[in-house]
Amino acid sequence: MTLSADRIPTYSVGELNTAIGSLLERGFAPRFLLEATVSRPQVKKGHLWLTLTDGTASVSGVVWASRLSQLSYRPTDGDGVTVVGKLNFWAARASITVQALDIRPSLSTVLRQFEQVRQRLEEQGVINPGRQRSLPTQPTTLALLTSVPSSALADMLRTGRERWPMTRLLVIPIPVQGPVADEIIKVLNRLAERCDALAVDGLVLARGGGSREDLAVFDDEGLCRCLAQFPRPVVTGIGHEDDLTIADLVADHRAATPTAAMVACLPDRDSAERSLQNRRQRMKDLVGWRITRDRQRLNDRRTLLAQQSPLKRLRQYQDDMHQKRDLLRALSPSRWLQRGLALLTNDAGEALTAVTSIKVGDRIMVQMNDGELETDVQIIRPASNQSKT
Amino acid sequence: MTRAKTKASQIKAWKKDIAGLTYEEATQALDLILAELQSDSVPIADLQDRVLHGEVVLDHCEALLRSVEQSVLQLDPDSLIETSSLTDPNNPTELNNA
Repeated sequence: MTLSADRIPTYSVGELNTAIGSLLERGFAPRFLLEATVSRPQVKKGHLWLTLTDGTASVSGVVWASRLSQLSYRPTDGDGVTVVGKLNFWAARASITVQALDIRPSLSTVLRQFEQVRQRLEEQGVINPGRQRSLPTQPTTLALLTSVPSSALADMLRTGRERWPMTRLLVIPIPVQGPVADEIIKVLNRLAERCDALAVDGLVLARGGGSREDLAVFDDEGLCRCLAQFPRPVVTGIGHEDDLTIADLVADHRAATPTAAMVACLPDRDSAERSLQNRRQRMKDLVGWRITRDRQRLNDRRTLLAQQSPLKRLRQYQDDMHQKRDLLRALSPSRWLQRGLALLTNDAGEALTAVTSIKVGDRIMVQMNDGELETDVQIIRPASNQSKT
Repeated sequence: MTRAKTKASQIKAWKKDIAGLTYEEATQALDLILAELQSDSVPIADLQDRVLHGEVVLDHCEALLRSVEQSVLQLDPDSLIETSSLTDPNNPTELNNA
């Protein structure tokens, strides 16, 4: 396309700049998000001036003093950021600046801050698994710090009702995103002072899912120190399962989600019901066993008593006597006499058991099975076959 | 007074005694009764009474478990004074994603 000279517009510098400003105003979004890295931030007369760059291109940026005081995050050189901005065009110099309405740290910046705070708190022993307290088994009252209303709160209340309705829940609304760490700290400090008065047994700090950058407030060092010093066990349920914040690391128990935090804090009603049923059955069993055992003991005593009756004892004596009589018979010498053996005695009635105690001419008595003999000794023959006359 | 009336008044007294117990306290009382039954320290003549007492405590525990109304109070974050009772948490009027 060719341009003729009379169709070329002619401007003064001021008119040109005004035309550019008008064009930008009509053709450019009033607000936009800008992903950038911060370079050379510096405060002049209360305003924060910085250069926003992606490594190749760059543009000037400014946070006016009125806005700067409201920012929760102050970028430093090299920080990755997301800027909520609008274009400022100065017609006098035809210069363009991005006016930052809000600046949020990018994921890389959030993670870097996370690591820095973690390292500091670990070194100081604030993050220390050894100092984690055990959770109350059946809390009377739980304080829930979360956004109200929110789906996270609705999930927590539903879980609480299903699991353990006997626990009283105190819901304390807190902001959970943006520059709100100081507000949360104030609430925590107030609650810490009134834990006894409110009978709080534990604290749940919860927030529903969001981007990791949205959870950055829970990496705040001051907030996490406050959580670590809270006088009751603290359970966190922040974001999704994969999200880990500094608050999770200082808490006494880290749950993956707000719902999981309630599960960690409250007993299970179903298992408690089963336990009660077991106790009821055990009570019946104990009584049954006791009665059965006492009946058995009674029977044993009845048997013992029967054994002590006079008739029973008389029979026992008779049996004993019969046994002794049989024994006596078994041991009597008459059994030997019946088999043909004889018992020899001298005049004095002493039993003669050896030929050496007898002389030729002695009178000896021979007792046999059916009578006695008296006889004189004529010959003695010791077992060695040597006779003596 | 007949034996039945005595028993009824005894049960009434037990119920009154445990009415204010929490679930944890009630289960402790129940476990105490079970331990007594197990240790033979209860005379046979008192067994039935002790079992009845245990049943009353068990009923109290079960009643607590069956309660569906949970006390949910919302406190003002600045004063920690109760601002409302969240009686119907299933129907929040407005939800955000947080």
